[in-house]
Amino acid sequence: MQSEISMINQRELNVTDATRINLKHQPRLGETVIQIFLFLCGAISILTTVGIVFVLGRESLLFFMDPEVSGQSILLSPEAGAAALSEGNLMGLCMADLGACGQQIGTSLVTFFSGVTWQPRIFEFGIWPLVSATLLTSTIAMLVALPLGLMTAIYLSEYASTRVRSTLKPILEVLAGIPTVVYGYFALTFMTPVLRNIFGQNIVEIYNTASAGIVMGILILPLVSSMSEDALSAVPDSLRQAAYGLGATKLETAINVIVPAAISGITAAFVVAISRAIGETMIVAIAAGAGPRNFTTWGDAMERLALLNPFKGAETMTGHIVRISGGDISYGTLDYTSLFAIGLLLFLMTLGLNFLSRILVERFREEYE
Amino acid sequence: MATAKKPQEFYPEGDALIGYVEQRKRRGLVWRSIFLCATLIGVISLIALLYNIINSAFGFVALQNEIDPAALVLSVEEDRMLAAPNLISSEDDEELATGVIDNPFAIGFFGYAYYQEHAADLHILTIDGIEPTAANVESGDYPLARPLYFYTDADRLADKPAVAAFVQFYLDNVTAVIEDVGYFPASENALESDRNTLARALGDTDSADAVAEDLLIAGSSTVYLLSTVIADLFRETGFTGNIEVQSVGSTAGLAHFCSRNSAVDIANASRDITRGEVEACRDAKREPLEFQVGTDALAIVVNRGNTFAQNITLDELRMVFTDAELWSDVNAEWPAEPIVRYIPGIDSGTLDFFAEEVFQRSLGELPKQTLIDILAANVSTGLMRRFENDQPFAERTQENVYELVLERVVEPTVVATWTLRDSIFRRAEIEAFIQDVPNGSLDFRSWLTWNFVTSPQSSTPEDAGIRTAILGSLWVILITLLVSLPLGVGAAIYLEEYAEKSWFNQLIDTNINNLAGVPSIIYGMLGLAIFVRVMEPLTSGTFFGVGDPTTANGRTVLSAGLTLALLILPLIIINAREAIRAVPSSLRQASYGLGATKWQTIWNHVLPTALPGILTGNILAMSRAIGETAPLVVIGASTFIVVDPSNPFAKFTTLPIQIYQWTARPQDEFRNIAAAAIIALLVLLLTLNASAVLLRNRYSTRI
Repeated sequence: MQSEISMINQRELNVTDATRINLKHQPRLGETVIQIFLFLCGAISILTTVGIVFVLGRESLLFFMDPEVSGQSILLSPEAGAAALSEGNLMGLCMADLGACGQQIGTSLVTFFSGVTWQPRIFEFGIWPLVSATLLTSTIAMLVALPLGLMTAIYLSEYASTRVRSTLKPILEVLAGIPTVVYGYFALTFMTPVLRNIFGQNIVEIYNTASAGIVMGILILPLVSSMSEDALSAVPDSLRQAAYGLGATKLETAINVIVPAAISGITAAFVVAISRAIGETMIVAIAAGAGPRNFTTWGDAMERLALLNPFKGAETMTGHIVRISGGDISYGTLDYTSLFAIGLLLFLMTLGLNFLSRILVERFREEYE
Repeated sequence: MATAKKPQEFYPEGDALIGYVEQRKRRGLVWRSIFLCATLIGVISLIALLYNIINSAFGFVALQNEIDPAALVLSVEEDRMLAAPNLISSEDDEELATGVIDNPFAIGFFGYAYYQEHAADLHILTIDGIEPTAANVESGDYPLARPLYFYTDADRLADKPAVAAFVQFYLDNVTAVIEDVGYFPASENALESDRNTLARALGDTDSADAVAEDLLIAGSSTVYLLSTVIADLFRETGFTGNIEVQSVGSTAGLAHFCSRNSAVDIANASRDITRGEVEACRDAKREPLEFQVGTDALAIVVNRGNTFAQNITLDELRMVFTDAELWSDVNAEWPAEPIVRYIPGIDSGTLDFFAEEVFQRSLGELPKQTLIDILAANVSTGLMRRFENDQPFAERTQENVYELVLERVVEPTVVATWTLRDSIFRRAEIEAFIQDVPNGSLDFRSWLTWNFVTSPQSSTPEDAGIRTAILGSLWVILITLLVSLPLGVGAAIYLEEYAEKSWFNQLIDTNINNLAGVPSIIYGMLGLAIFVRVMEPLTSGTFFGVGDPTTANGRTVLSAGLTLALLILPLIIINAREAIRAVPSSLRQASYGLGATKWQTIWNHVLPTALPGILTGNILAMSRAIGETAPLVVIGASTFIVVDPSNPFAKFTTLPIQIYQWTARPQDEFRNIAAAAIIALLVLLLTLNASAVLLRNRYSTRI
């Protein structure tokens, strides 16, 4: 068989130059089509990001252009105030008078970022009740996840024997693989009763940020520990050996040498954890409460740190989005566009944190390679 | 890296050095334990989480039945007894006694006292060889022995001194006269507890003043005899009021007693008060107090001239008082003469007692036809017709009809539920609770049953199931898989095999990593704006001519699948890249060396080698998608559908959504079914993850 082919080839080669196989680079249509298809697959991710930015941006613009948000009608003349506000004519009005449009958006942004009342029903759009709740639950989660996660990472990377590590790591992975809605159930039916028993039924409300925050910390714990552990075990062994050689104990080596050497990786883990906590939805939607913790004025909000009481219910940004969109909302209403404004803020916050963590990881990579 | 420290000026020696080293060692040990504890907290959390779910998914439930199943059975049995031929039924036991005395082939039953009155003319049967003697009755060997009671209420005792005085007198003297009347005395314990009840009800009030008031006593014909004797004695002590004792039957007596503004002061009863009657009493603002005054043995009597029957078994009793026409039908040795039956009337406690003791059947043991009759008597004819249309009764099994009766007639509703832990450790409390529930019963239940997995959603937690949710999850995940697998792997191949270092490829790379960190709810908003709203004709199916344009909207399986596909795309790309990168480049070089094109190399060598890694990553991404809730809530999963999704354009709900909705409900039972649904979800995820691990282990050795 083989010899036959070679014979044919030889015969062909010998016949004329015209029938000789052309070994030069040939355009292959199939290959090019495939490459283009694969490129498009890659580009889909860009499209996704563009889609997110476009959608969030467009609806947020509509939200901020709406005179109801700030209560001041700059874009619309008072005569037109009563006219029905459809999306199209709002956009058109804005295009027609860019200056007024910018002013309108500006005043809306000021109300948005300075208000302490979020009540879409009466057109009060101050984002602080939602943001403060997000920060509160995230802080509680971090208080749980960061120390525990770091200590777990140190134990697993520096102390645990191979056998212990091979038992504990999968358990933590299981914890990371459980759907968040299950954690929400856990927070509401386990953590809340526990907190109520410890601190008293009158102090701890059924829906409270403490319970949601603690359980969120447990959810994030495996993320922190595994990322930190990766950073710790990437520290070259020579550093450990050197520390031992100088007479340091295991603890001293871990705390004074290994952790500082891996600090950028650990910080990256922390930053990713914070971003995860801010975007976490189901736990707070189930356990933190349904209704923003509103105040009339800043003084009211600051009084006895009422904004920060962890044992009271509060609605976070994500919790609010889920609750409102879970009901029937009609497109183009302020209810609808306000969600996208919150979503845009959420997206920007997590995006910033993710960039920060990537920068930290890059720095960390360069150190030992 | 470590911060520079001042060189130590003091260098310990000898014991000081040893102490210093020991101290550092100790500190090391302490911190080591702290680190270990921190690690274990994660493990403990996992255990607590699983414990909490299992704790809620199993446990006792208190059921309240619309109709007590025992009462249903009782009425069936009584109907059978009353429908028997040659039957004389009367509330007046005297009439029954004389009836039996006159007829040689008669049989009857009534309180022992009436037998004693006519002992000379009647013949009493032993039951299963046991005679109704005082000893047998007290020990409980005689099957037809029953306590005798009277009931009154605390307010009546306090308001009417005559009632209090009479009750006191009754309790003091009943033992002395009861044997003369023809019954057996109550045990000393029972009388003691009666006295305590009375003392508690009276409190400090002085009960001695017997004011001349009228007393009305009504109820059981059995206790009637006793009460009249006591009433006579009471009059002899100088009571001048009028005492009227009526013999109307226990049921009628208690019914009068428990009606509003009732004139009845004391109700006689030859059976326990039922929960329904207690409830009726409470509605009429009366709290019945129970006093046991004696024990009666039901006498089964025949004519003096009846010489063939001496003893009768319970089986024979059942036949004698129901279907048998001739004595010989019951026992071949007995004559072929028709049985003439004398039984107490429908209102009498004696009949209830007899039926209850002799026919000990539960509802489930009744024959199919009887169950159908019960059903027909209790539901509308329209509903019966519907049942018949679903499946003719002739074809249904007895079990099936029994279930219908349970569901439609008994209608158990859940009044309370307990967790597994409470079910084990607080059993006594739970049982005390159920005592107070009228027609209540206790049922240990696993909320996760096959029925739960296979039945569709329902607004009542007992009937609710997760079939729609499971099918919805599978449909969504199928779409997600079909979209994200080719796109993800394609992107990974492009980035690993084709992409050169250009700014655009760098951008794609960075972008994918950033997308992996975007909160899932943002994807939900993207899906809402793009797939649900802008692409509505496509995702609702109207573009393809599927679905009704008037009701369809974009909140479909397709939208959900596409949204989740975008969500897990970065994960799949990252995992697939890892897998492709792990393929040794020697493989590629060898392929190129043989003259294969780039795509041939990738398709025939790189992809097959990387496949296990790609699939593992893909399965893990799928399990993430299955557990996602928030984006699906945002794009608008249906809150309540009972129709299984059958195409990509169907409305949907998924398992996590279902869990979320049930958890958000305040009722306990919804928490229980949420826990059961969580177990189902975790089992699904576990299966997926286990298959990923298997896949990894199976193929990882091949390279």
